[in-house]
Amino acid sequence: MSFEGKLALVTGGGRGIGRAIALKLASQGADIVVNFFRRREAAEQTAEDIRALGVKAEVIRANVGDPAKVDEMFDTIGNKFGRLDILINNAASGVGRSVMDIDVKAWDWTMDINARACLLCAQRAARLMEGRGGKIVSLSSLGSFLVWPTYAIVGVSKGALETLTRYLAIELAPRGICVNAVAASFVETEALKFYFTEGLNQDNIPTTPAGRRVTPEDVANVVAFLCSEEAFMIRGQTIIIDGGSSICSPLFSFKKND
Amino acid sequence: MTVEEQIREIIARITHVDKSLITREATFKDIKADSLDIVQTLVAVEEAFGIEIPDEEAQKFQNFGDFVSYVEGRVVQKERV
Ligand SMILES: NC(=O)c1ccc[n+]([C@@H]2O[C@H](COP(=O)([O-])OP(=O)(O)OC[C@H]3O[C@@H](n4cnc5c(N)ncnc54)[C@H](OP(=O)(O)O)[C@@H]3O)[C@@H](O)[C@H]2O)c1
Repeated sequence: MSFEGKLALVTGGGRGIGRAIALKLASQGADIVVNFFRRREAAEQTAEDIRALGVKAEVIRANVGDPAKVDEMFDTIGNKFGRLDILINNAASGVGRSVMDIDVKAWDWTMDINARACLLCAQRAARLMEGRGGKIVSLSSLGSFLVWPTYAIVGVSKGALETLTRYLAIELAPRGICVNAVAASFVETEALKFYFTEGLNQDNIPTTPAGRRVTPEDVANVVAFLCSEEAFMIRGQTIIIDGGSSICSPLFSFKKND
Repeated sequence: MTVEEQIREIIARITHVDKSLITREATFKDIKADSLDIVQTLVAVEEAFGIEIPDEEAQKFQNFGDFVSYVEGRVVQKERV
């Protein structure tokens, strides 16, 4: 797999899983646009680490939940590079609440960032991919399918993202654009710590048949594969990255593999 | 309107808290603002004053007074540039 000469935009690429994806694509030769929202220092650090790999990195601040900011970000990319090869819709936000506590403000905030932004970014990205094709990979979560405590709004937004992925995959196929998603179970990041304090109990996490928790790098590896030509015939799919936990019946018991 | 009054207006609009409760000593916790209220307040203040308030800075604010002082400082800096 080589992404030499390719330009990738990773939304929320400054830290967490987005950072791991940005570094993975960069390590295979892609130039990276690191989008961030609140954490400039983290984004600048990631850009520095990307440049150390011998490729270009650009940092762009934009709240992807704000359509005007999405437009500004793509205008900047268009003016500076005139093209885009890979879009990673990774940015996500949300409020840990059960369904009865969800209000309009929390719903709109989460849906705007986690679902609508994927549409708006894909629309703008598709134009920058005109005539050259491209890859779009969005980050879903197993919580779109499994019911996790206090995860309701985020889960719903990820359901929308997965359906959007299928529509984009078919409608953008004639333009040579491959669109897919990945859905991880719990990944070791700050977001996970947030959900543990907001209601998820660490002890409730079922043992993973694969013997350990998913890491940001595990996710980045699958995303990189979906961005490669080797994945050309995979379209509109959501690939589950969970070490087997979601299909494993509680009747099985696992010895930890350490 | 002063910077302080403008920020107080923004917080009151987003959190639906009475302005009289937003004193310089008040914290977001005192006015029962959740994480979404806080980030929306930061974004609204950034837009109102044309500045950037990274989370790394916002986390240092102990109370409303610190928040106001930071924004005042940034506004002065911006005018100098
Ligand atoms: N962690 C998990 O267990 C897990 C499991 C399954 C799926 N996922 C998915 O994987 C993706 C990355 O998750 P993560 O755990 O790395 O998340 P995270 O640690 O919470 O980081 C969120 C990232 O999104 C960015 N972001 C948030 N709101 C944004 C906005 N409005 N505009 C632009 N950027 C924004 C943040 O940027 P700033 O820091 O600059 O604000 C940050 O880079 C998400 O889509 C998440 O739903 C995570």
